[in-house]
Amino acid sequence: MTVLPLTIAVLVAGGVYLLLQPGLVRIVFGITLLSHAANLILLAAGVSAWRGEPLHEGPGVADPLPMAFVLTAIVITLAVTVLMLALARLGGNDDTYVMPDTEPRPEDDHERGTGETEERPA
Amino acid sequence: MSAVLPFLVAVPLLAAAVGVVLPGRVVRPLSVVVPLLTAAAGVWLLVEHRTGDPVVVQQVGGFVPGVAIPMVSDTLAAVMITVTGFTSAVVLAFAWLSGEARLRFLPSLALMLVAGVNGALLTGDLFNLFVFIEVMLLPSYALIAMTGTWRRLGIGRLFVVVNLVTSTILLIGVGLVYGVAGSVNMAVLAGADHDDPRYRLAVATVLLALSVKAGLVPFHSWLPRAYPATSAPVMALFSALHTKVAIYALFRVVSVVLGGFSDWVWLALALVLVTMLVGGYGSLGERVVRRNLSWQMVAGVGYILLGLAIGTRLGLASGLFYMLHHILVMGSLLLGAAAIEHVYRSGEFTRLSGLMRREPFLAIVMALAMLSLVGFPPSSGFFAKVGVVRAAAGLDDPQRAIVMGVVIVASVGSLLSMVRLWRHTFWGPPLEEMPSAGKEDHPCASEVEPGTRAPQRFVVPAAVLLAASLVLFVAPGLVFSITEQAADGLLDLSAYVEAVTAP
Repeated sequence: MTVLPLTIAVLVAGGVYLLLQPGLVRIVFGITLLSHAANLILLAAGVSAWRGEPLHEGPGVADPLPMAFVLTAIVITLAVTVLMLALARLGGNDDTYVMPDTEPRPEDDHERGTGETEERPA
Repeated sequence: MSAVLPFLVAVPLLAAAVGVVLPGRVVRPLSVVVPLLTAAAGVWLLVEHRTGDPVVVQQVGGFVPGVAIPMVSDTLAAVMITVTGFTSAVVLAFAWLSGEARLRFLPSLALMLVAGVNGALLTGDLFNLFVFIEVMLLPSYALIAMTGTWRRLGIGRLFVVVNLVTSTILLIGVGLVYGVAGSVNMAVLAGADHDDPRYRLAVATVLLALSVKAGLVPFHSWLPRAYPATSAPVMALFSALHTKVAIYALFRVVSVVLGGFSDWVWLALALVLVTMLVGGYGSLGERVVRRNLSWQMVAGVGYILLGLAIGTRLGLASGLFYMLHHILVMGSLLLGAAAIEHVYRSGEFTRLSGLMRREPFLAIVMALAMLSLVGFPPSSGFFAKVGVVRAAAGLDDPQRAIVMGVVIVASVGSLLSMVRLWRHTFWGPPLEEMPSAGKEDHPCASEVEPGTRAPQRFVVPAAVLLAASLVLFVAPGLVFSITEQAADGLLDLSAYVEAVTAP
């Protein structure tokens, strides 16, 4: 029974480490790891503890609700991961420390004064 | 009656889907009409809750209660649907009139956002709350990325990462709640063992995630950075919908799922008081109109949640009243800022000046909205703040003095911020050169043409929202009676639980 918590712990630790990196692609990987951890937590939350499978009565059947949760969560994460990879690809670099709004570019259509520039921490 | 609830989600979602293929001249009016329809449905539900059933439930899919996905409307949900629907309609009307909605897919994405908001307001199930918050966030990621150019994409990264990590924490919290209590149905959770430390820890995880989404200090720092980077109408939409839905969910979860803060009232009070102070004084360092306003959004979160932290009937009712006031007034201010930016192409204090004489109508609207934000009559802010302070007067002695003192000190901060905003943009010498002059992307038009004025159609949406705020000032009794009814629904859960769990 210690395998599941240990797996979750490793996934969360790896996910948090990657989240703290500057590049958006690494952050995407970090979020993916975190969402895997969340899915495992959902499964750990009660495979057969609370209710059985609704159509078939008998021993050894699993609770359908956590599985429905996990399925929904996987789909949502997939969609957002694709979007984030697109965001990482756009705009020159994928660095999240240097916001692209630091230098106005010629192709900027609406200059609306987002103000001061920020320097990358050394 | 209850059959209308799924349509509040389905109709905007369907309109969004249809809007992708329809030509723009059809979609733009559609994006105004559909939120108005949901607002009308909200009014209808409000009347029903006042005269008939206090709680209307639809068990979607026809499963037995407990397994079915319930959609629940009570006074709180209905009043939120009305106000958010109305505000979205006005903001989208501005986007239409100002030409911003000419961006392909913007009306569709906004409608999808409205669908997610209505779903999050109506759901009676924690997991579906997560799902609908995601439905709400997905179009927002696109809206943030599309209404700007490359510079907004950087902010889009920040916004997506913050919200996605928060959503994951919310999902983990929901999983933990299910693990402890065996259900994610809020009506069932209302009867769970609220003193079980494991349960309280699980709900605390959910509350943590919702606090980040609401922009409560110390989780606020993403909000003043992310929101001003989008275009002004989109920021107005986000301000009316995003943080407010998270605040609504906090009200719901704390009251129904957790049964009040009990021993942790001091922590809740401390957080909201710090939020008010940080938000109130945070604006003072900003030199751009909408950045200035974004800190006042943070301050507003503090005042609204103060009502929840106090937790009495009066506290909840005035917190909700403050939320309605804040949605309308913030929308009005942001649309005013949007009008300035559309005409003068800048929102920077150093470039704007003397707008009071050029734009008398806009100046009146903005002045009244600023007074309302700080809490002066004649608009809703006055009664909102009176309500919050009256609720604070019901606390015990050391806390009462601290809370009322902090409310006053924080309001002075908001006042100073608004004075600063007014002095730099509306006062001062008349504009001589266009604020956008000398910028790379607007090399021409350095002289201010004598005819440069904000057209009426840019200012009217802001005036409409302000007028709604004035209605709240003229008829506070009516609105307070509605929010008091909503507060009763949060304090006495018997009708809610009975309606949701009845077979």
